[in-house]
Amino acid sequence: MKLYIGGAYQGQAEMAQAENPGMPLYRDFHETIRKAVLAEGRDPLAFAAAFCRDHPDAVVIANEVGAGVVPMAAEDRAFREAVGRVLCVLARNAEQVTRCICGIGVRIK
Amino acid sequence: MIWLVTGGSGCGKSTWAEKLVRSLPAEKRIYLATMQVYDPESEKRVRRHRAQRAHLGFRTVECEKNLSAAQIEADSVVLLEDLVNLAANEMFDGGDPNRILPDLQKLSKRCSHLIMVTNDLFSDGETYSSSVQEYLRCLAEINRQAAGLADHVIEVVYSIPVALKGELPCL
Repeated sequence: MKLYIGGAYQGQAEMAQAENPGMPLYRDFHETIRKAVLAEGRDPLAFAAAFCRDHPDAVVIANEVGAGVVPMAAEDRAFREAVGRVLCVLARNAEQVTRCICGIGVRIK
Repeated sequence: MIWLVTGGSGCGKSTWAEKLVRSLPAEKRIYLATMQVYDPESEKRVRRHRAQRAHLGFRTVECEKNLSAAQIEADSVVLLEDLVNLAANEMFDGGDPNRILPDLQKLSKRCSHLIMVTNDLFSDGETYSSSVQEYLRCLAEINRQAAGLADHVIEVVYSIPVALKGELPCL
């Protein structure tokens, strides 16, 4: 598994695409997490474990969403927490994690 | 040694900080808890953190503000969690945020290792009410002061530690 993260529009999607030609990309994975955990009520850790098991070679692209003031709405807090928990599991499983800032990728794993 | 551990929400900061504590030789481990428990969500958070560190032999010291009043034995390893709550309590609950830095300096001299956890609240691009903006400014200043005090500053990015100051320990 490879994970590409960064703030909104920091170039993680472009970089993932350039570095993994022909591979299926899991884009906007923070939204996938929102749907699985908030809309479908799945447990974040169980969802993450199942995803890693079923997609061991996935190229996953996600936004970092946790670096802000704690949101007022419980649902927004749950979203941030879920993205954090799920991406921690994916990052531990991934052989490579790249963080993009201003289009520059930093390989942090 | 003094450590500052930062990162976004749910990024695995606490887990990494606890891993760091495990790697340090210590007879006395103190968990300095600053969070006020006021609703089921914060209770749940406290329960999760307690369960996570149950096997580490911490003595928990509750200290919502005024760190200098906390009962800390000399030469202990102190995990302070976290500066975000401490700053909020000092600011909004009749304390004094200006005493945080001197209190941290005194605390760091008393214990053998101090691990401070904080949070990156600064990158959501939102504009908040003036009191929240003032809180952010104050916390950012405390974070910078704490980073100045620390030998090592580590940002945890979805469980992966990234060294911002000093070296990354082999854990």
